[in-house]
Amino acid sequence: MSLTAGVDVGSAAVKAVVMRVEEGEDQVLSHVSMRVRRRDVASVTREAFAAAAQEAGAPSLDYVATTGEGEDAPFATGHFYGMTTHARGALYLEPRARAVLDIGALHARAVVMDSRGKVKGYKMTSQCASGSGQFLENIARYLGVSQADIGPLSLSGEKPEAVSSICAVLAETDVINMVSRGIAPQNILRGIHDSMAGRFARLLQSLSVEGVVFVSGGLASDDGLTGALERALASGSRGAVTARPVAIARHPLSAYAGAIGAALWGGFRRAKLQTGGVAWTARSTASSSGA
Amino acid sequence: MKCFVGIDLGSTTTKAVVLDEGGEVLGRGITNSRSNYDLAAELARTEAFVSARFRILEREVERAAGKDTLSRLLFAFRLEQMLVQLASLEARILEEAGKLEPPSRRQTARDAVLAVFGRIRCEEEARFADPNPPARSDFFRDAAGSAYARLAAEIGGREASFELLVGLYDKCIVKVENEPLDLGFRDHIGKALARSGASGAVRAAVEAASDAELSAAATVGTGYGRARLPFPKEQIRSEILCHGLGAHILFPGTRTVLDIGGQDTKAIQVDAAGIVTSFQMNDRCAAGCGRYLGYIADEMNMGLHELGPLALASRRPVRISSTCTVFAGAELRERLSLGEKREDILAGLHRAVILRALSLLARSGGIEDEFTFTGGVARNPAAVRALQGLVAENYGPRRLNISADSIYTGALGAAHFARRSAA
Repeated sequence: MSLTAGVDVGSAAVKAVVMRVEEGEDQVLSHVSMRVRRRDVASVTREAFAAAAQEAGAPSLDYVATTGEGEDAPFATGHFYGMTTHARGALYLEPRARAVLDIGALHARAVVMDSRGKVKGYKMTSQCASGSGQFLENIARYLGVSQADIGPLSLSGEKPEAVSSICAVLAETDVINMVSRGIAPQNILRGIHDSMAGRFARLLQSLSVEGVVFVSGGLASDDGLTGALERALASGSRGAVTARPVAIARHPLSAYAGAIGAALWGGFRRAKLQTGGVAWTARSTASSSGA
Repeated sequence: MKCFVGIDLGSTTTKAVVLDEGGEVLGRGITNSRSNYDLAAELARTEAFVSARFRILEREVERAAGKDTLSRLLFAFRLEQMLVQLASLEARILEEAGKLEPPSRRQTARDAVLAVFGRIRCEEEARFADPNPPARSDFFRDAAGSAYARLAAEIGGREASFELLVGLYDKCIVKVENEPLDLGFRDHIGKALARSGASGAVRAAVEAASDAELSAAATVGTGYGRARLPFPKEQIRSEILCHGLGAHILFPGTRTVLDIGGQDTKAIQVDAAGIVTSFQMNDRCAAGCGRYLGYIADEMNMGLHELGPLALASRRPVRISSTCTVFAGAELRERLSLGEKREDILAGLHRAVILRALSLLARSGGIEDEFTFTGGVARNPAAVRALQGLVAENYGPRRLNISADSIYTGALGAAHFARRSAA
């Protein structure tokens, strides 16, 4: 048994978990998410980690693993790449998952893996924030819709407004124009969800994903987006030569998938170090990264 | 007196130009566009007519007492306007402070607000007395906002904190901006005359100018929001045509125009008569537009007009790898946290904007001599320096024209179209 922490440093939020890692009985003891906003990332990272450790009542940890952009955290024992941690975290939260769609504030990425969490393929969206989580947040703000209301409102939209890619920064005027043309907020949001989902579906299809796709990242809790994704995947597979039935899965802790995966990999590496008898020392692990 | 009006309804600012019958510029007006295009157009037009009246006044006063007297008078007039807006802002903030909970906080907040405004008024008076006042933004929001924030930090204490005071300001500033400013010419000029201690001859000249009848014989609208202008279709021209003609009027030798505005960038080739022969515009993407720098300024909690001067201090500009504005913002934060210098990152960001513009120029047909740079970004010294360097590198020596009034280029072209349509 070991106590480990996973800290996932994203561009919009830092997620930290503390886990008890034990063969077959891994358990999340605490989870904390903190928004970065315009603050210094390093101090938000430190705070999130400290809060998670305190909440778990864990005075000392056996391994602290970072992932995402957390490579420089001074308190970390080791760092793991985002695709491996999301794959591992997704399997913990949903054992049937064979792919992860991680939808974050700036990027979305798809990872295909096997039943043991080994990464088989990986792809990211393009170098533009249109259709990102940040983009959706901007739109909601211009519409005066709170984060929690985005999903339910979008699901109630009956006539989605067709939206092609809109610049995330110039979206404000586009939204003002749509509203002044009399288009209801729910139809704007649903149109944007449809456009985002179409892009994610193409991302998944380009990796020939089949089976269960686990949605992780901050946007996994957006019912409007996951609903649109289900529709997009269903319509996409109909036309394909070989139908690949794809199901969507998520979990209340979806946003923590990366942090959970990091904590699990941390526990795994620690166990390896203790039993392996390899000429590794704690010193050399601190500077190694990846899995 | 017959005049011709051009209005350029930009995404960030709305500009108006008034011409006399000979095509000489009489007056200009500019205001933030906000979400209400009608109001913005009306404000810019009103301001342009006020400044047109001043132009007429300038002719009269210059004859009577010389140029210096006039500039003093204009300065005094601006100060009177500023004081009216300050009074309105103060009243609104005091009202908001009166609603604070718990009520025990109200008096402290009101005292702090009164102290802040007392100081701002003193500073404005001192600025008037200063023969060479430092340059600052044209907008009330920028001028009043930076003074307010500075003084709130100084005066604010534990009870009326800086955050509380700035929060009150944020609640009120938009309302004050949207207030149709009482530009009552006669009222303000009366006070301004008293303040600048004008002689009887000046007063007589002002009287003559005040009585002059100004009427718009024709108006043409252009710009991003032109479809919203309450004008018939024949009084609307595309911004490409207006910018081409406006640049030609400013610099008759112009063959290539680069306009970097708030939400779009235009590369235009014009012939010897100022008529557009080809053009390219960026598709709806903030990278390469003024909004890119605006977003960066927000990320850095700086005013847009402060970016350029800071970037000029750079010795080793960085190469920005992101194209997308949002990603560049993330890259900025990352580089800052790595300890890179603000000015070096900013210089890199300015270069990135200009690089995007250059690819647009190349697609529109290159850069011919003379080359005129217009739009809000042409006021940014770091953007201009980056452009000069890159043009010389890629096209060889080109004469680069930049007018101090280049932000009015579109409105100027529109006004000339109005004048032609009436001829």
